Amino acid sequence: MMLALIPLLPLLAALFAGFFGRRVPRCWSHWVCCAAVGISFLLSANVLYEVATLWPSTGIQSNSVTLYTWLDLGSTKLTVGFLIDPLSALMMVVVTLVSFLVHVYTIGYMKDDPGYARFFAYIAFFTFSMLMLVMSNNFLQMFFGWEGVGLASYLLIGFWYTRPSATKAGMKAFLMNRVGDFGFIIGIGLLFAALGTLDFKEIFGRVDELRGLNVSLWPGVEWSLLTVACIGLFIGAMGKSAQVPLHSWLPDSMEGPTPISALIHAATMVTAGIFMVARMSPVFEGSDTALSFIIIIGATTAITMALLGLVQNDIKRVIAYSTLSQLGYMTVALGASAYSAAIFHLMTHAFFKALLFLAAGSVIIALHHEQDMRKMGGLRKRMPITYVTAVIGAWALAGLPPFAGFFSKEPIIEAAHSATVTGHTYAYWALMLGVFLTACYTFRMIFMTFHGASRYGESKSDAKRGAHKKAHGVTHEAHHDVHESPKVVTIPLIVLAICSVFAGIFCVEPVLIGDYFGAAIHGNYVAHPAMAELHAEWHGILDYFLNALLSAPLWLALAGIATAWYFTLSSPKSADRLARSLGGVYNALKNNYYVDAFYERVFVRGARSLASVFMQGGEQFLTEGVLVQSTSQLVRWGAQGLRYLQTGYLYHYAFAMALGLLVLMTWWGIL
Amino acid sequence: MSFSAILFYVFAVILLASAVRVVIMQHPVHAAMALAQTLFTMAAIWITLGAEFLGLALVVIYVGAVMVLFLFVVMMLDARQQKWTPRWQRHLVPAVILGAVMLVEIALLIMRGVKMKDTTMPVASASMENTRELGKLLFGQYLYSLELIAVLLLVGMIAAIVLTHRQNRFAKRQDPAEQVAVTRESRLRVVSMAAETEAPEQSTAEPSPEKEGGQ
Amino acid sequence: MPGLEPTLLHYLLLAAALLVISLVGIIANRRNVLVLLMAVELVLLAANLNFVAFSVYYHDLSGQVMTAFVLATAATESAIGLALLILLFRRRGTIAVQTLDVLKG
Repeated sequence: MMLALIPLLPLLAALFAGFFGRRVPRCWSHWVCCAAVGISFLLSANVLYEVATLWPSTGIQSNSVTLYTWLDLGSTKLTVGFLIDPLSALMMVVVTLVSFLVHVYTIGYMKDDPGYARFFAYIAFFTFSMLMLVMSNNFLQMFFGWEGVGLASYLLIGFWYTRPSATKAGMKAFLMNRVGDFGFIIGIGLLFAALGTLDFKEIFGRVDELRGLNVSLWPGVEWSLLTVACIGLFIGAMGKSAQVPLHSWLPDSMEGPTPISALIHAATMVTAGIFMVARMSPVFEGSDTALSFIIIIGATTAITMALLGLVQNDIKRVIAYSTLSQLGYMTVALGASAYSAAIFHLMTHAFFKALLFLAAGSVIIALHHEQDMRKMGGLRKRMPITYVTAVIGAWALAGLPPFAGFFSKEPIIEAAHSATVTGHTYAYWALMLGVFLTACYTFRMIFMTFHGASRYGESKSDAKRGAHKKAHGVTHEAHHDVHESPKVVTIPLIVLAICSVFAGIFCVEPVLIGDYFGAAIHGNYVAHPAMAELHAEWHGILDYFLNALLSAPLWLALAGIATAWYFTLSSPKSADRLARSLGGVYNALKNNYYVDAFYERVFVRGARSLASVFMQGGEQFLTEGVLVQSTSQLVRWGAQGLRYLQTGYLYHYAFAMALGLLVLMTWWGIL
Repeated sequence: MSFSAILFYVFAVILLASAVRVVIMQHPVHAAMALAQTLFTMAAIWITLGAEFLGLALVVIYVGAVMVLFLFVVMMLDARQQKWTPRWQRHLVPAVILGAVMLVEIALLIMRGVKMKDTTMPVASASMENTRELGKLLFGQYLYSLELIAVLLLVGMIAAIVLTHRQNRFAKRQDPAEQVAVTRESRLRVVSMAAETEAPEQSTAEPSPEKEGGQ
Repeated sequence: MPGLEPTLLHYLLLAAALLVISLVGIIANRRNVLVLLMAVELVLLAANLNFVAFSVYYHDLSGQVMTAFVLATAATESAIGLALLILLFRRRGTIAVQTLDVLKG
């Protein structure tokens, strides 16, 4: 089965690199993994081709293949299978393409790292899990893929495990994911309990059965089952796609190497939540409350994270907050029932965000692992390819024509405007403001990194310079002769830049407006008319472009760029003055709205004190004291008591025997 | 009351009294004598019952052999007279209580159990029938048991001899098993040492007297 | 209550009394092991009386056969007991009962 090869090849490559990577030459690891993922990409592209071009004519809507019955519980079967339809085909291509490019990029980025083979094993395993998630046709397999990508994320964030900050960040990511998984399982459980099946096709077919059902949360309070299940599922998506309040793991996940920031935390894993909601669209359409919840959370994430992006100094963190903000956009689109817009933005975002991360990685290795933007500058002459691709990525991110972001962002904003669920107005204004902020912080990053005077090396003290000269033989500046990165790094950048440029123009019509998704995505277009209005107002690309000139987002974006230029290049001091005048607000932003501090105080310390209560009360007193010690003491006392009977004196024994005889006589004779 | 009844009571009293004396007497020889008296009295009771053979056997075997054995051992161990001290007397009381309770219980059991109309004992007949009949039973019906008892006596005898026989520790004897089990290493030990050489000639005046003195 | 003529019950009670006396002798013995062995003989004697009494009452000589056997067994047992006593004396140098406390736990 060709389909089965798509996830299996990366798995086999991961196993090879994981178990044998140390014993074979380095290049074997990367050849095997890149080849495996590359073949997966070609097979996925083939599937996409079939789905996009061949299926419409034959009328096939989807293909559900059950590969293997894992467990037969009588009333249900737990299976491993694939559901191929336009949605999954699109995701497969995105995942494998970005994964392949990251694999190639890693060859250059992790060249000097001792854990080379291990890294490849982990990212190949991640690719396998993500593919299983995307291609699955039942909840159990999707959950398996869900957990698999969570595990891969933990392993990769804490890849440099000797660094305590890295291990902590890995734990944080995993635990927050777990909190989300709890909601996810509740959602799955409710659906399973109500319908008795985990298979997607069956569930979608029987959604109407669920409409009238209620579930009681606690005695007296009854909610619609669909609402509770959808909110549960969405909580899982919140954990995975880092929506507020389960978002703070994502910036900390920048402790991992840059390739994984690109792969996992920009393009694929964080989009798993978005994908899941889109996949479950028939179910989500049944609950307006859930959709409203989604749209509010998404809008909040979009705006709050964009504000945070303005005050970061680490180049990767800026891009991380940008990812969070864009995920908020996608979530808003989901809440507005514009599922195809969300997926389209997911696709374009994957390209330009991965591009930005990889470009940042290129800058980082060129500057010898320097990540603070205040120590960069003026790199555009020294690293031209990186500069150009980064600007392309930033342009796309800001949503300016004619690149991909332009085609995917505007529809979301329009959808928020035309949606009917509660909170859509709030979402609309939040997204508008977000456009301004996005352009602002993105181009602040570009200007600080690539333009202006070069600040790298200028903050090193004289003592350090002397030490550096002694250690390396040359001065700091001479050693860090900044140059463009090797081809294995720049070629993926170029490929992604091309995608960012053209994906928008070519894909917007079929994906967004056309019937590409077909039956894969259900929308109740009467109750939730966002997509219908989009369809109605579409008159072609050129018209879209001209229309954009007259609408706010484009000008907001340009205003954002201008603001960034002003504060970064033209008068940097005014930035500091602004920061000082907005003292409290600035501090709140710097500390991530104190969310992390709150979590630390309430959840972490709370859990620890609860644990110590159990430790002392339960463990030490009960288990050790009462159960363990007391039983042994009891035995000891008993034994010591009985010891007095063992006098060793014959006459005592004889007396005892006579006594026993008496007792027996009494018992049997008299009684 | 018939003469046999009077006999019975007299013998019973003597029996019990001498039994008590066995337990109480301070000197072991006195206790052994009391035991002999008990046995004699018991033999008398048995003869009045008509079990002459057993009564005489009791006297011959028990008093004649076993008691003598006891006395031999008493004298061999040179057991001394041991006084009754108050400490020992304290232990007597619980034992006596226990004994009394037990006696009462046994009495109750017997009286409840023996539910016969007529429990009078038949009068002993003055004939030698008892021995002959006993002989017929022993060598007829209970021959097997008799043989076993004989073996038991033999075993007991052997056991007693084996337990107490002391071998003469100073007699020299050979044990062929030990002789055969000898190994070369336990008899001969070869040590390598440097060859001895002639000491060089020295003046003989001083060393000799000291050497001889030291010898 | 048994009457004055000696009946079976009298003999049985006599044997019981003898048994009890020797039991007390075994328990209350604080002097030496010889007395212990003598008391054991008394126990066996009491049992023998029981056998003889029943045998005469039931006109069945098997009881006396049994008595003969018990007699032989008692003799053997006292012989071996005395042999052990001699061994004990050789080991300990004394036959005081208080010294026999090696099994004290």
